[in-house]
Formats: sequence, structure tokens, C-alpha cells
Amino acid sequence: MINTKKFRRHSCIVAVFYLVMMPFTSIADVYNLTVDKVIIDTGKFKKQGIGYNGASPGPVLRMEEGENVTINVTNNLDEMTSIHWHGLILPYQQDGVPTISYDGIKPGETFTYKFPIVQSGTYWFHSHSGFQEPDGAYGSIVIKSKKREPFRYDRDYVVQLTDKHPHSGARIMRNLKTMPDYYNRQQQTITDFISDSETNGLGTTINDRMAWGDMRMMPADIEDVQGFTPLINGKGPNQNWTGLFKPGERIRLRFINSSAMTYFDIRIPGLKMTVVSADGNNVRPVKVDEFRIAVAETFDVIVQPKDDKAYTIFAESMGRSAFGRGTLAPRDGMVAEVPQLKKSPLLTMADMGMDHSNMKGMDHSNMKGMDHSKMKGMDHSKMKGMDHSKMKSQVDPFYAPGSGLTPNAGKDKKFLSYQDLKAQKQLYKHRAPTREIELRLTGNMERYIWSINGKKYEDEEEIRLQYGERVRFKFVNETMMSHPMHLHGMWSILDTGAGKWNPIKHTVSVAPGTTLYTETEVDAPGQWAFHCHLSYHAASGMFRKIVVVGGPKSALLNSITSKEPKV
Amino acid sequence: MNILSKITAIAIASATITLGSSQAWSAGSHDGGHGAKKNIGIPGKASEAMQTIEIKMLDNYYEPESISVKQGETVRFIIKNDGEFVHEFNIGTAAMHTAHQEEMMTMFEHGVLEADKINHDMMKMDMGNGKTMEHNDPNSILLEPGKSGEIVWKFNKAGKIEFACNIPGHYDAGMMGKIKFKS
Repeated sequence: MINTKKFRRHSCIVAVFYLVMMPFTSIADVYNLTVDKVIIDTGKFKKQGIGYNGASPGPVLRMEEGENVTINVTNNLDEMTSIHWHGLILPYQQDGVPTISYDGIKPGETFTYKFPIVQSGTYWFHSHSGFQEPDGAYGSIVIKSKKREPFRYDRDYVVQLTDKHPHSGARIMRNLKTMPDYYNRQQQTITDFISDSETNGLGTTINDRMAWGDMRMMPADIEDVQGFTPLINGKGPNQNWTGLFKPGERIRLRFINSSAMTYFDIRIPGLKMTVVSADGNNVRPVKVDEFRIAVAETFDVIVQPKDDKAYTIFAESMGRSAFGRGTLAPRDGMVAEVPQLKKSPLLTMADMGMDHSNMKGMDHSNMKGMDHSKMKGMDHSKMKGMDHSKMKSQVDPFYAPGSGLTPNAGKDKKFLSYQDLKAQKQLYKHRAPTREIELRLTGNMERYIWSINGKKYEDEEEIRLQYGERVRFKFVNETMMSHPMHLHGMWSILDTGAGKWNPIKHTVSVAPGTTLYTETEVDAPGQWAFHCHLSYHAASGMFRKIVVVGGPKSALLNSITSKEPKV
Repeated sequence: MNILSKITAIAIASATITLGSSQAWSAGSHDGGHGAKKNIGIPGKASEAMQTIEIKMLDNYYEPESISVKQGETVRFIIKNDGEFVHEFNIGTAAMHTAHQEEMMTMFEHGVLEADKINHDMMKMDMGNGKTMEHNDPNSILLEPGKSGEIVWKFNKAGKIEFACNIPGHYDAGMMGKIKFKS
């Protein structure tokens, strides 16, 4: 008896040992990345930049859910570097943000990241040091799901969009600081002024211009950095990245926007796209003709080209100053027609947080003394009672009514809205938030300062969250630019009014003059970055550090007090 | 009546013509009135079933993802929804499915269907033209999560047919399967 018991206990220990060790031994892969100086050829110009394993974009890291990854990153630059794994849920010391997660990686040094993969889907990685990311330091991550995915496809392509500029990131930042409209080529001219005066009358035109001047913005300020060449998987429009297919096949396209500053409107003329995933999380499939991808977002779509012909992947920048172009084709070398850029939108008074249509009788000259900080813009919370499912028109509640940015795919065509995104699976039990934190997105265009609640990163304390709480963030965009807000380490549940089916994202775009809410289950101890993902906005102050207080003891031991990088 | 509600009424009317009932079926309008139904078979009798096929509905796919039948064979389908969302099992041609997807979209837009719920009361409501949004064609079954049902179908002619879920987005995401004819 005693022997049997002993044996049983022994076998129990062995079993436990194997259970614990299994994930480490069976699927644990090692990935090696070098950070290198590279030449980026856009087809229009060649430019020295930064890449991984000798190229920009870097490789596609293919991982598996449940795997424990080891990633060796060797810095071949003569400056500090870092890699942030955008959208991955991991211990904060592995998150790759210098001064928040660790010190960074010194020249010549190899840093080893180790973390478990607890999710699946499409993500990306990039440097979080200086302007290395706009200079080319990005790659993509594809994580295979443990379970059968709620959709089916025969082929799978990453479509990584970037906006390569002939100037280095550091130079662009310097130029923006000295002259914020340095890269804005679509400024309104005296000809526009005369033509507006003819249409609207001289007085209205002057008043309108004065109001814009007071905002320190121009109606064409949709892209504050123009002059870039959009790339798809590193290829310029003429180099034409091509994905092959056999007619009838379902193709999964994993769109990733790794641009420094550029939002893209994406369509594939002749094909409907079924959106199945946003920011790595599956959504209920929704069929669209076109979608907008904010900086740092990812969208997975499934297309099924049935004809033996080529189709153009057309990605025009939101401000229409440039387009990216790729091709889906049955054979190499085939091309399809490349559409013209749509008319470039102009911001309206609605994008200032004011509905212009109600301002007919208003004397714009009195706006000088107006306190813009009081402009709350549009409040989505008031829309709870509305049945969005009944809305068939192109009205998108995530843009201010009358906004010049409101997307439109054309007659009888569907443009994806955040409103259409509904979680395929609930990640967290739906519950009421424990508190609300208001974050006003603010800026002074004249000095190219971007801030939160009127304060730059270096002038403001960290935001402290309690482990276990569910925080509701209220983003009030008081600027006239869109801001893709990215919280590291924890999910942002975007409030679309769908309750338990609200989609789960890592980056949410807040349109000018609007208020948007996200909720976060504070389940990751440590300290995290929280910022606008437009490179030059983050660098000029639209950035916060989040500290999560409390939580599991083991995690707490490593957090906050520790500044040492963990290897 | 303003223009908008008139348009809505017309839209509902045109949607219900094909959703209507077995009458609509016998009138052959389910497939858009082009008489394509002759290619997909006819309702069968359970007593004549030669094969029983169990179909599991999951989010958003079937198990199995393709089936084989013989021409002339009557098949009893036992269908169970093991997913968290409403799913359909519909036998038809690709063109029939495309047409039915628009009807399903209308049902969603009018709140007759929700992602995880079928509002049967609303389905039976007279839309003001003697038609309803009932979903009871013999070649199709719509199931809430956890529910099961049966279809008996006689494949009297071989053809290019598929089984599919026409809930918006599901077909395009791959919730469909081929019906292969064994010789």
C-alpha cells in the first residue's frame, strides 16, 4: 500500500512537472533580430534608414498562441534602440519602451526578450526610441490561433503600410517645431480665397478665415507631414507589391498601418472586403467596400476574387496627398487600373467642435475671446438610446456632424465605421466602470506642441490606476487633427454602444471635435506608455505614463521600484 | 406618408415577397423568380431518407465543411447550433445565397434578427401588405444558439449547390460548404 501511494505521488509529481514544462519545451521558439542601418528604395527616392535583419520593413515574426518566445535583439546602430511589441499582452518589463519598461538596448548590445504569447491575430513591432520608427524600424507579427478561427481562407498576406519621407524623422521634427506648416502643401491660396469669396461672399470668407486663424489651424491641416511616399510591404506604388491567388480562393489580407503620420482609406476596386478582425481581435464579419485605417491599427479582411484577372489594392492617404498601391493577381506581372485620388477633403467648422450649419448668424469676429477648452465636441454617451442598427445612411457617429473627414465610399457602397465593429467573443465580462478619467487631447499648432489636458508629457504626473478596476477613459478631442490613441499592456474596449459586444482594440482614433470612450480592465501590473501614435505628436508631448498600482504579488515585486532591465 | 417611409415600405414589401412563406417557395420566388430552384432538389419525406447527416453549426463555420450525396437520394439533416450566434443552414445555389443574404440583412436592419436571438413575434407581424418576415422555406433552417432542427431534402438532380449561412458576413467569412454528388 505504502509503495503504491509513494508511486502514485511520484507519478503525480512527474505529471505536474510535465504539465508545467510542456509549454516551455514543446513550443518555445527563438527569434533573432538585428537592428541595422539600411537603404530604403521607394522607387521615387532612396534614403538611408533603419531596419531589422537588414531590411525595412523587418521580417514577419510568425508565432503561435501558447508559445513562450525568446527574442534576441542585437543593436548594430551607434545609438540606443528598443523594440515595442505593438498590441501584445506581456509583462511590462518586456514591453520595450525606454525609461518606462527598461533602459533600452545599447549599441553593440544584445537584449533578450522572453514572454508567453497569450493571444492570436495580426500585430506589429517597432522601435520606441527617438525617430527610428519613422526612419523604418518596424516589422509585423502574425500569431496563429490555438483554436479554429471563426473564418476560413486559403491564402494569407501581410499588407504593411508605411509613409516613407525623404527627410529623416529628426529633421521633420525640427522643421515642424520651427514652422508647423512646413510640410503642409495643401494650404489654401489667394485663389481659394477669391473663389470662396465669390461663392460665400467676402464678409463670410474673411470671418471664416479669421476663425481658422484663431485656431492656429488651416482647413487643409489633415496631414501635417506631406511629401511622403506610401509603401506596401516596403514597395512604392511603381514597385507594385503583388500577392498571388488562384481564382475562387479566399485571401486573408492582414492590413497593418505602420506609418509615422498617415491614415489610409483602403479599397480593392471590384472586390468586397469582409472585415473579420480589428487590432488582432476577431469581430463579427462585416462586408465593406472601403475602410479607413488609423496609424498603428490593424484590420484583417477576407476577399474572394473569382475572376482570372488582377485587382489593385488602393490605399489613399486621408488627406489625399499620396497613395499606396499593390496588386492581387493570378500571375506575376499582371496589373489592374489604378484609380484617381479622390478629392481632398477640407476640414469644416464641425471639426473645430462647432457645427457650422448653426452658425449662420454668428459674428465670427467675436470668437477671439472664446475659450476653446470648453468645447466638448460630440458626446457619444448621449447616443445610447439610439438604435444604430437602423442607420443605413453614410452618417458615421465617430465623426463630428458635418465633419470634412467623414468617410464616404460612394453611392450604394459601404464604408466601415467603428460602429460596425462588434466583438466576435467577449474577452472580459461586461460590467460598469469603476471610475472615469477625462483626457482632453489638446495642442498648439503654432508651436507644434501636442498635449493631454493642456500639458506635455514632461510637465505632467503619471496616471495611476488600481489593479482590478475598470477605468472608463473619456477622450475629448479639442484639436483639429485625428489622434490614434494607443494604450500599452492592456486592452481598450471601444464604446460603440454595443455593450458586451463592444470591440476590443489597442489603438482608437479620436476624430476632430468628437468625444470617444474606451474602457480598460486594469489587469496588468507595472508601468505602461499611453500616447498618440502619430510619431511627431507623441514626441512633442501627447504622451502619458500609466502606473498600475497593486496586483499579484509576484508581478508587484518586479514593478515600479525596479528600473533595471530584465534579461 | 412621407417619401422616406414610403421607401421603407417598398423595401419591406420587396423583402417579404421572397421571405413570405411556403407560398413564396411554391411560387418559385425564393431564388429571385428565375426558376433556378429545380437545380437544388425538393422537400423530401423522412420515411424515404437513405442517409442521415449531422451538421454542427459553430461560430462561424460548419462541421463538416462539405458533404457528399447521391443523385436522387433523400437526406435527413440533423442540424445543431453549438455556437453563440444565430446561424442558418440553407441549401441553394451561390446566386440564391447571394439573394438571400440581402433578405437576411433586411431582417437584421428591422430587428427581426439579432446576433444571438430570433424575434419570432416580429417575424409573424404583418408588414402591412399581408406579408411577414417569417423564415420557413423548406430548404432552410434558422437556429438560435443551443437549438437544433431537421431538414429532409431530396436531391433529385445533380447540380452546383452549396449549404450556407446567410447571416450577414457569415457566408463571406467562409460559413458555407459544397454539396458533392457521388456517382
